[in-house]
Amino acid sequence: MVVRIIIDVFIVIGAFFALVGTIGVLKMPDTVCRMQAATCIPTLGVICVSIGAILYASFVLHSAENAIKIAVIAIMIVVTNPVGSHAIARGAYRADLRMDKNYKVEPDDYGRDFYE
Amino acid sequence: MRKTQFSAVLSTFILCMAVWILLTWSFEIQELAAGVIVSLGTALFSSRFFIHDNAFRFLNPLNLIKLVLFGFVLLKEIIKANCSMAARVLGGCKNVNPGIVRIPTDMKSDYGLCLLANCITLTPGTITMDVAEEDGQNYYYVHWIDVTETDRKAAGDVIKSKLEKGARRVFD
Repeated sequence: MVVRIIIDVFIVIGAFFALVGTIGVLKMPDTVCRMQAATCIPTLGVICVSIGAILYASFVLHSAENAIKIAVIAIMIVVTNPVGSHAIARGAYRADLRMDKNYKVEPDDYGRDFYE
Repeated sequence: MRKTQFSAVLSTFILCMAVWILLTWSFEIQELAAGVIVSLGTALFSSRFFIHDNAFRFLNPLNLIKLVLFGFVLLKEIIKANCSMAARVLGGCKNVNPGIVRIPTDMKSDYGLCLLANCITLTPGTITMDVAEEDGQNYYYVHWIDVTETDRKAAGDVIKSKLEKGARRVFD
């Protein structure tokens, strides 16, 4: 019973951070800022939901197999996420992808060093 | 193009095989044979791209312990950054002053630079855009969502102080 409560707490925390990331994606002013807010989802959202799922698999289902699989999946997501994140951010910057042309990024060392 | 080394292929093969076994979790001879073939192909083609020096660095338990300790440091930073990002988003996205700052770093090796860049990207609020070298000093271009510090060195301390200490203990 206590274990079920702990599992629920972890999954609710993970869902909360996923919700925060989603609201951030909708409300932020800029492409890269939206990606910044979305980073909440694959970090603490995935970690907390995976911890909850690992506890569920090991203490309720009693299967070590599923727990190990979930751990491998969580590590994979956390390790591979920043690579894609970095590539998308750089691509968006180089393509000059701005939703609002009046919106200024200040200071902008990257544009200063590579485009002027 | 660099040459394919045997130790690099072996370590990549062991990693691929371990992930295969953990994900399939069946020990029949057919599954294992398929895993060996796929892992060997992957290792032969990809090992020369990401193993450059000592291939069995993390078989040394001391290095492994340092890596795990660094994981805890990273987890603490991630939790802190997540909480501040949650406060910013739920407060209506008020204090958002994005900017790209060039911060100096003390990391020397390729692995260390890559590890620290990925950790900076992994904390919400900062994304590494590029790595550049100038006069023997490495720099990161970091997109920072709330620029509170315009001096570049102090900004670097705010962004990566604890992470850099931990990462320097793991590599170089």
